[in-house]
Amino acid sequence: MIVSAEKNAITTENLVKVYAHADRPALDGLNLNVVRGRIFGLLGPNGAGKTTAISILSTLLQPTAGKATVLGYDVGKQAKAIRCLIGFVPQDIALYPSMTARENLCYFAQVLRIPARRVNERVGECLELVGLTDCADRRVATYSGGMKRRTNLAVGILHEPEILFLDEPTVGIDAQSRNLILERLIELKGAGMTLFYTTHHMEEARQLCDEIAIVDSGRVIAGGTPEQLVGAAADCDNLEELFLSLTGKQVRD
Amino acid sequence: MLLLVHVKKELLLLRRDRAGLLVLFVMPMLLVLVLSLIQDNLFRATGGTATRALFVSFDEGALAAELAANLEATGALELVREVAGDKLNVDTARQRVFDGEYQFAIIVPAGFSAAINAAAQAAVEASFRQEAPTQPTGQLTVYFDPTVRGVYRTAVTSALQRGLLGLEIARKSEAFGRLLPLELQRGIQEQLAAYAPAGLQLNMPHLSSDWSGQTLIELSEESAYPDKYTTLPTSVQQNVPAWTLFGMFFIVIPLAGTLIRERQEGTLTRLMTMPVANATLLFGKVFAYLGVCLVQFALMLLVGKCILPILGTPVLELGSAPFALLAVAVSAALAACGYGILVGVLARSYDQASTFGAVSVVLAAAMGGVMVPVYVMPRVMQGLSVISPLGWGLEAFLDIFVRNGNLASVLPRVVTLAAFFLVCMACALLMFRRWRRGL
Repeated sequence: MIVSAEKNAITTENLVKVYAHADRPALDGLNLNVVRGRIFGLLGPNGAGKTTAISILSTLLQPTAGKATVLGYDVGKQAKAIRCLIGFVPQDIALYPSMTARENLCYFAQVLRIPARRVNERVGECLELVGLTDCADRRVATYSGGMKRRTNLAVGILHEPEILFLDEPTVGIDAQSRNLILERLIELKGAGMTLFYTTHHMEEARQLCDEIAIVDSGRVIAGGTPEQLVGAAADCDNLEELFLSLTGKQVRD
Repeated sequence: MLLLVHVKKELLLLRRDRAGLLVLFVMPMLLVLVLSLIQDNLFRATGGTATRALFVSFDEGALAAELAANLEATGALELVREVAGDKLNVDTARQRVFDGEYQFAIIVPAGFSAAINAAAQAAVEASFRQEAPTQPTGQLTVYFDPTVRGVYRTAVTSALQRGLLGLEIARKSEAFGRLLPLELQRGIQEQLAAYAPAGLQLNMPHLSSDWSGQTLIELSEESAYPDKYTTLPTSVQQNVPAWTLFGMFFIVIPLAGTLIRERQEGTLTRLMTMPVANATLLFGKVFAYLGVCLVQFALMLLVGKCILPILGTPVLELGSAPFALLAVAVSAALAACGYGILVGVLARSYDQASTFGAVSVVLAAAMGGVMVPVYVMPRVMQGLSVISPLGWGLEAFLDIFVRNGNLASVLPRVVTLAAFFLVCMACALLMFRRWRRGL
């Protein structure tokens, strides 16, 4: 793992993103501070700006205004340096369905410039970590949803990144696969990795995250540890109630 | 090294898609095979080879046979006098034309020779007596398939008119040679009757009719560059490179499709978060599909060399400049791949890419002379043909196959195709960079 000297893994200051032809900004002065080695959860209803934020931080989008740094590197100007240090687990199953899990991992491992002599070993480790060693030589197209999600995670951690961005990594899978993924994420944190995580599952966030930020309309509307957040709201017994009281019960599309 | 990783991945994805592979290799071969055969038939029908026509004669004299010989001597017609051992009559001949088995039937009526001889005699006599020319008395009928194109019909009727004209001139010359001494004697006797004894026989010159068929002006038909164009192109030499290029450019659709699929599946987004250069990603696809294009090219030449001759067409002659051929094939394949990448970067969906890609390739093929030669196009289209990469490739291939071209002679077109590739890639990289930066 590459280690940089920055204390904060991620910092954003008044981050703004306005998409072309949009009537309102997707991010409207977002301020975040993610400490190294923690699991940070970004919660929010649909359209709150979670995916936009994770896209900017993982160098997929340029911010319209404001500043964002990842491990001390500016996302706008030093994207190349950031890409060597981060892993990304997208919401979509970003794999080649006609290739096997092993072939997918080998391909991405080479793209991530893992030395040729280490590729097979590292691919084997990652397959083992997500419990896919036995069916690694089956095509991804034949996998269940849970197996695909686990492979998706395996690709993200191939090069042992300093920060792992996860965009709703447990969407649409069974309890067993979700449990395995969550266990592995805790193990990765234990190994010193910083995890930046978006989800709709409040219980999952409470269980996993050291720190949470609830965003709506592109801004942080509440932040802290899950316990601090629930404790500070007198009428709320859990994170879900707090979330609904902060963001409203109106359905978002 | 990283480029090779992307190339290997693309080839692996292609190998896994068996239906896709079949489409990539078999469809262009079928395209070349079917279209070359069809075009070969058209080439034969419009003057490339003799047209087969039914010939039914009821004439008792020798002139029908002479007409048939004249027609066959022109090389434009091959006359069929019986089909499967059966003698033809008007009804069967007409039916075969109606059924589309033959496009023409020439019917020579009974008394054709006698009618021509009599008409020639009457015409010459009328001329000596300064009387009005006689009206035609004989008739030759041609039945033609109504679906036959005008130019094809014109070619056959003009060959017939030429044959008939030759026959008429010969008969008129004979009549002239026969009547001239008689007319001279009659005129002299009328004018010298007062001075010459009755029954005076004058020794009149006899005129041979051989001069009627004698050519006075020879038509010289030569290639503009006889040293350079040693042989005339066959239909296969025109069609195989044309449809091969057309097939190669259809790589645009699967190539653009891979980019769009990666974008839709999210793999491209994942790659964008990794330390990979835009150029490496796009060139990885280009080199994988360049290999596919070159295999397609080899297979299509194989069709022209080995399969088409079995089906009755001439063998594809590949010229004598293999390096020039390779240079043209590589540059044309690069142009096709570059265009495919550009379409893939610009299109928002597979439907957009497949529709735009296919239509633009068909347009470029039509403008470049793949479907009809550039010289028969309207002047405006001839002007536009110079912007078609398929046209550049086709000209270069024809230069090698037909004009004994070499690397030096095809170099300008190779450079143009390579420049087209570079321009496409530059535009694609620019657009891709904007997309990657989320602009």
